[in-house]
Amino acid sequence: MKPSGTPSGNQPSERQGSAQLRDEPYYLPLADEIDVFEAAYDARLPVLLKGPTGCGKTRFVEHMTWRLYRKRAASEVEFPLVTISCHEDLTATDMVGRFLLRGDDTVWSDGPLTRAVRTGAICYLDEIVEARKDTTVLIHSLTDHRRLLAIDKTGELLSAHPNFLLVISYNPGYQSVLKDLKPSTRQRFVSLTFDYPDVAREAEIIGHESGVDAAMAERLAVIGEKVRNLSQHGFEEGVSTRLLIYTGELIGRGIEPRRAAEIAVVHAVSDDAMVQQAIADIVDTVLP
Amino acid sequence: MIELAAHEERLALFAEGIAGRYFHIKPSGDFAGRAFSLAADQSALTSDTLFLPEHLDGPDPTAYRVLALQQLGHREFGSFTFDFAMALTRVPGLTDHEVPTLSGRASDFERFYHQFALPALISRLLHLCERVRVDALLVRRYPGIRRHLRRFRAHLLERQPPAAVDSLNGAVHALRCRALGADSAALTTLDATGLLAPALAVLDDLDQAPGDVYASAAAAARLYAQLSPLADATAPGEILLLDEELAEPGNWLQREARLTDWRDELAALDASLAVEQLHGDDVSAADSDGLTDGQMRPDDLALKAMQDDRDTLARRIDMERSAIRDALGADTPDARSFRYDEWDYQQRRYLPRWCRLFESRLAPDPEADLAKLQAVIRTHRPGVQKPLEQIRPLGYQRVFRQADGDELDFNAVIAARQDVRAGQSPDDRVYSRRDRIHRDVCAAFLVDLSASTDDAVDGEAGEGERRIIDVQREAMLVMSAALEQLGDSYGVYGFSGYGRDCVDFFVAKEPAEPFRPGTLAAIAGMKPKRSTRMGPAIRHAVGKLQASGNALRVLLIISDGFPQDCDYGPDRGDHEYGVQDTARALREAHDKGVETFCITVDRSGHDYLKRMCPESRYLVIEEVEDLPAQLSKVYEALTA
Repeated sequence: MKPSGTPSGNQPSERQGSAQLRDEPYYLPLADEIDVFEAAYDARLPVLLKGPTGCGKTRFVEHMTWRLYRKRAASEVEFPLVTISCHEDLTATDMVGRFLLRGDDTVWSDGPLTRAVRTGAICYLDEIVEARKDTTVLIHSLTDHRRLLAIDKTGELLSAHPNFLLVISYNPGYQSVLKDLKPSTRQRFVSLTFDYPDVAREAEIIGHESGVDAAMAERLAVIGEKVRNLSQHGFEEGVSTRLLIYTGELIGRGIEPRRAAEIAVVHAVSDDAMVQQAIADIVDTVLP
Repeated sequence: MIELAAHEERLALFAEGIAGRYFHIKPSGDFAGRAFSLAADQSALTSDTLFLPEHLDGPDPTAYRVLALQQLGHREFGSFTFDFAMALTRVPGLTDHEVPTLSGRASDFERFYHQFALPALISRLLHLCERVRVDALLVRRYPGIRRHLRRFRAHLLERQPPAAVDSLNGAVHALRCRALGADSAALTTLDATGLLAPALAVLDDLDQAPGDVYASAAAAARLYAQLSPLADATAPGEILLLDEELAEPGNWLQREARLTDWRDELAALDASLAVEQLHGDDVSAADSDGLTDGQMRPDDLALKAMQDDRDTLARRIDMERSAIRDALGADTPDARSFRYDEWDYQQRRYLPRWCRLFESRLAPDPEADLAKLQAVIRTHRPGVQKPLEQIRPLGYQRVFRQADGDELDFNAVIAARQDVRAGQSPDDRVYSRRDRIHRDVCAAFLVDLSASTDDAVDGEAGEGERRIIDVQREAMLVMSAALEQLGDSYGVYGFSGYGRDCVDFFVAKEPAEPFRPGTLAAIAGMKPKRSTRMGPAIRHAVGKLQASGNALRVLLIISDGFPQDCDYGPDRGDHEYGVQDTARALREAHDKGVETFCITVDRSGHDYLKRMCPESRYLVIEEVEDLPAQLSKVYEALTA
């Protein structure tokens, strides 16, 4: 048996393509979150990001990683950000690593968390409460003064690279009460709360990301504001900034604005026919 | 004609999206205020309800959306925040004349109207200006409404086309046509008075630069100055008649908005008082030296004056609130309303959107003794828990021969190696994994809160007697605690009401909510209320179960008698209509994949339950006290 850094096809999804982060990811600060995150990183305090889906948590982590690993040149690690999208079948093994069969050998393959701990990357566990409980316990020793990862299958006790930082996110709004984060986990992190930006700033983001003109960006932001008023009707997430950007991108590629909003917003946020009709009415009323 | 009923639900969602809060949608004819009535074709928005015409003569259903948006627009663009004192500074030429006929609590609109010799005329002009202003702002804020607004206006204009302008009413009608989009130049050609052109220009200016409600007031005052010379030739009664319908809702809605300001004022006074009292406490007793008996320090006098002002304002708010409630009808801002069809077995057809159901939270019983409630749970727990123990709990089990997993499955690995050695292609499912076993169940408990649940368990009422509602409540407390341990998601609801327009549906706990001490207090808040219109309550609960997304959905109805309401069928004494509607609602539930079960503590329940549901789907409990244990057995049988 020998350790190996080769990623496995069975590993959880990792967005490594963009994780080299050579270019600055666009992020519009809403408050002092950049300063707070930098201070937390300098003190190596684990960070918890709370907020609804599509409000910019992942983009914020990407932006901060770029600031810390590229702009500040703190590290030359190739993949400074390891993102793990958690789901209900994600186990500790998926994160730490597993033995693979290779020919007649059984070889150890590091999981994404182990790789981040070894190389000193930021490990971002997206929607942590979706993962099984054993995964949250696993990160406890990484989030206090010990900064250790115990790999019980190989017997290795791995000390985290000095640059390593753990960041987790979850959305307290739509998660079932059964999937709440345990206090013993929650209290290991400093917490930054995100929400959808106000209309003016959301319009700026939509305009920048999708390329639509300022007037259309503002219309789309107003749609976002109004549709979120209906979020308790079966789509607790509201409509994300991401979906509004998609709408803008479709419009920028020649799709008629109402049709673009129908595809990217109306049908995307709810399957309830009545709610869809009401959202379509809002879209029809807000768009010129 | 377009029917409101067909568009109510969609309009309610639209209004909620635009306004950011829920409004009931009701026909104008349902307006229950006493101070005035709404005309059938009139719209109005009170603090909790959007009243719209029940039948609308419009080009298409979007006309309802236009009407709804116009009413919401009055709120959004501040029509009812009109303040007379501010108007004095913003409306050129407006002065404050004492009007002895006006009551001290008259609305600020009324005070404004009565500064003019013809209050009816200025009121009408202000309404016109507000229509123009709010529409202009709506088109800017919601540009998509422009085409629907234009179409609706053209339709209205067709119904009331421009006519010759030779009187004050003719001029006002011409201005109304302008507000509906008629061409100013064309209107001027109909003018015999020579006064219309500058008046139309005032509306054009307002359309171009809408501003706030005081811009409308200033425009109305200008129009008044231009058109009042025509007043002599007009019968004043005619304008007055037209005016009342328009003015009354506005006056009360302004008073309602003013109440908010008064509440803010009261809060500010309370805060100042608190500060003053703290300051007063700091002042040493030495300050009292030199005062004779009965004399108050200047600080104390100021404090007392402030306290008196505060009490006067509080009394004024109470009186005004009560007057407004009387004028606009009782409000139910915390409830949501839903419409449901009802099955008329005599005509063999559904009566579309026949019932209106109000859903609200069950108010927790403030006197509920939590320790006592916990004791009830402990007492009944053994009997309830036993059947539920038969249900397999949440947990994990290891599954083998998986393509992905946390451990290698060595049997599979060996088999794969054997295959390779034998020259065959191996099975690559060589892992084992712990899989979650979970119950995908959502249950809804629907408890009958009719007045008859106030009856004593043994039929003899008396002080300290246990009543049916007590046993129902206890059963729900115990079941909730037991299900919480089991981990199933469940909702606890009560229902009652009186009449088809007022079916009450009370929520003690929704499936997605955790069980808290507040849940106990809410269940303890279940009290006997009025009638038992079961059909709409079942339909509503089924909707909730469907929305839960769980695979197994179970509805348990706990009642003490047959379905009954004052208008549940053409003949109040005939219960068959209610039984048939309930039976239909249960069948609908079954068709939607919801398992139902009726439990009654009414010993004569067999008579009607066998007509409502199959024999395997109901239970008549002979001894009321058995309810908790029986409920638990039924639950186990339905969901295990």
